[in-house]
Amino acid sequence: MSIARVNRLSPYMFMAPAMVIMAIALLYPLGYMIWGSFRDWNPSQSIGEAEFVGLKNYITLWNDPNFRESIGVTLRFAFFVVSIEMVLGVGLALLLDRDIRGMSVLRTMFILPMMIAPVVVGLMWRYMYHPTIGTFNRFLESIGLPKVDWLGDYALTSIIIADIWQWTPFIFILSLAALQSLPRSALEAARIDGATPWQQIWHIKLPLMMPVLIVTGLLRLIDAFKVLEVILVMTNGGPGLSTEILALRISRTATEFRELGVAAAMSNYLLILLLLLTVAMFAFTRIQEARAARVRAAAEEAS
Amino acid sequence: MLKTLKTGVAATLLMTGAAYADGHGGPYAEYAGTTLVVNFPAHPHYNAAMKVLPEFTKETGIEVEVDQLPYLKMRERQTLELAQDEGEYDLISYVVFSKADYVFADQLENLAKYFMNPKLADPNYDAEDLIDGYVQNIGVAGGAKGYLPGPTGSLFGIPFGSETSVLAYRKDIFEKHGIAEPETYDQLLDAACKIPELEPGMGGMASRAASGHQASHAFLLHLAPLGGRVFDDAWNPIINNDAGVQAANALKTIVDCGPEGAMSFGPSEAANAFSNGDAAMFLDSIAFMPGFENPDRSQVVGKVGYAMHPKGVRRGSQTGGFGIAIPKNAENKEAAFLLMQWLTSKQGDLMVAMEGGNPSRFSTYQDAGLNEKYPFAATFGEALKYADPDWRPIIPVWGKINADIGTTMSKVLTEDLDIQEALDGVAERTRAVMEEAGYYTWQ
Repeated sequence: MSIARVNRLSPYMFMAPAMVIMAIALLYPLGYMIWGSFRDWNPSQSIGEAEFVGLKNYITLWNDPNFRESIGVTLRFAFFVVSIEMVLGVGLALLLDRDIRGMSVLRTMFILPMMIAPVVVGLMWRYMYHPTIGTFNRFLESIGLPKVDWLGDYALTSIIIADIWQWTPFIFILSLAALQSLPRSALEAARIDGATPWQQIWHIKLPLMMPVLIVTGLLRLIDAFKVLEVILVMTNGGPGLSTEILALRISRTATEFRELGVAAAMSNYLLILLLLLTVAMFAFTRIQEARAARVRAAAEEAS
Repeated sequence: MLKTLKTGVAATLLMTGAAYADGHGGPYAEYAGTTLVVNFPAHPHYNAAMKVLPEFTKETGIEVEVDQLPYLKMRERQTLELAQDEGEYDLISYVVFSKADYVFADQLENLAKYFMNPKLADPNYDAEDLIDGYVQNIGVAGGAKGYLPGPTGSLFGIPFGSETSVLAYRKDIFEKHGIAEPETYDQLLDAACKIPELEPGMGGMASRAASGHQASHAFLLHLAPLGGRVFDDAWNPIINNDAGVQAANALKTIVDCGPEGAMSFGPSEAANAFSNGDAAMFLDSIAFMPGFENPDRSQVVGKVGYAMHPKGVRRGSQTGGFGIAIPKNAENKEAAFLLMQWLTSKQGDLMVAMEGGNPSRFSTYQDAGLNEKYPFAATFGEALKYADPDWRPIIPVWGKINADIGTTMSKVLTEDLDIQEALDGVAERTRAVMEEAGYYTWQ
């Protein structure tokens, strides 16, 4: 074997262990799920015993009104949760990006909700929303307002509020980190040129933070599509199907209806949906960057 | 949670030693020292059963390890265990609606060969004394409609921790306003809506209603006594006939006149509402009733009257709860049978009942000691005579139909969906599920 050949092969040899681990840990389960989604598979059977049905699971789901409703709920939930959390989280970060005494304590307190186990979060909010003994209704009663049936008439709103409470800190922490790593020179230049605080935020801070914000938003979006425990504990998808998001429907399909094939097909739909969103988001940033580069190039040429 | 119940090793050795010494060891000698792994739900009845297990170990030398799980999680775990070549569990407790799945997948031992074996079967077991409705509902499969007893059926499990429904009501409130103990559904619904008017702040009846299994359970609870069924004898969905509409109306009336937040109640929330004094009635499983007489948890101790599940066009209280069975892939099947037999024997059943469990035998309900400790035992024994083993179908596709009924009922309760239309929708979707599962192949 020539030395050149060994040299050429060596990077692959170093990568091999990682590739093997990735194939076993990532691709095998994924392939298993895709393979399973083409079968009429009941949890009492092994995958080999299950009957091959082709695309039937996907077609059934496509025409299933409950599945569609569930997708609708998921999209609505994810949209509201992510947009409100982004606004609140970034806003908080902009407000708190300064030297305040006790800042580190404050920051720790802010991220506490994130650290609580989801089941506990669900239970906590469920009791706070309780129609008679819950904190919210007791408060409303004490100031003479009528009680609200939080988890009945306003179930989706209620779980959105709980999720915002839990996950805004995540966005807050990441945007704060992004803010603090911004180049001070740009901000200084803006200040010297007489930019107002609003102009600084709008024209300097936000555009510079954008790459971090996009990744943060994407992470939250993916998470919002998969949130399960909090909703499971708070409403179990009810009333009706009004809070049954896709993750919950997948879990119910697998355990309650005992249709593993359909559940796998549903997971794949979710996967495709998330993949499309991610690709779209990255494509959007690419286009933005390209446009910015064009503008810059044009400006340079003109000068 | 894995709890090991062990008596002293020394005691075990002593006992087996003594048994061998006198020549024949009794039925248990051969299995002394075996350790059985059993899967029980976290449930008042099984908590009571765990208190008497040390007694079993003392008597037989067989040790028992209990793996306790929340009851709705059991099926998931068991499905995985039962599908393996060699399972972890020697004895499992199963929720009644799992019967269809396990038997259909051929995962439970047929009990005939154990009852035929003279070395294992206790001649004093007295199977006639087991409550018939429970045995039919929980233990037998393969007869009528596939899930009920009949000439072709056989026994796969024994009821243990079985339940029926009774009505708990506030004697004090009913007396104060001169309302009679509800005997019929008309009286029940009448009282349910009268009470919030007479006692401001108190709901009529606390009922399960949360979306999914709970709402479906609540609806079916009224369907049987009002004369309805989910299917007719040819598996045609008839849930949308007059009786079905009446049952859904009854549920809606009850929830509308019930305590605040009733729409999202599960069984424990409903029971809590009753024991906090927020509702004047509670119609559900007997498993919750001992809690109302516990001064630590209940504010209504001594004020509660117990009556049979009211009558519509017929009497039909629910049958449900748990049975115990031996998995096909168990390691110690014979010792598991001995434990099963011991727990459900006259003596075992009474011991568990005295600790707060639900009896599975008529003789236990007649026991003077039990009646003294739990004053409602007699009513329960009476109610059992009308327990309806066919109040809900136990077929492999039931999970899906059950969820559909539950979601639709929840919509009826919260979104004011038209009842007839809602039930027509359920019937139509159910027909499609049944069609796909092959129930109309012979038509």
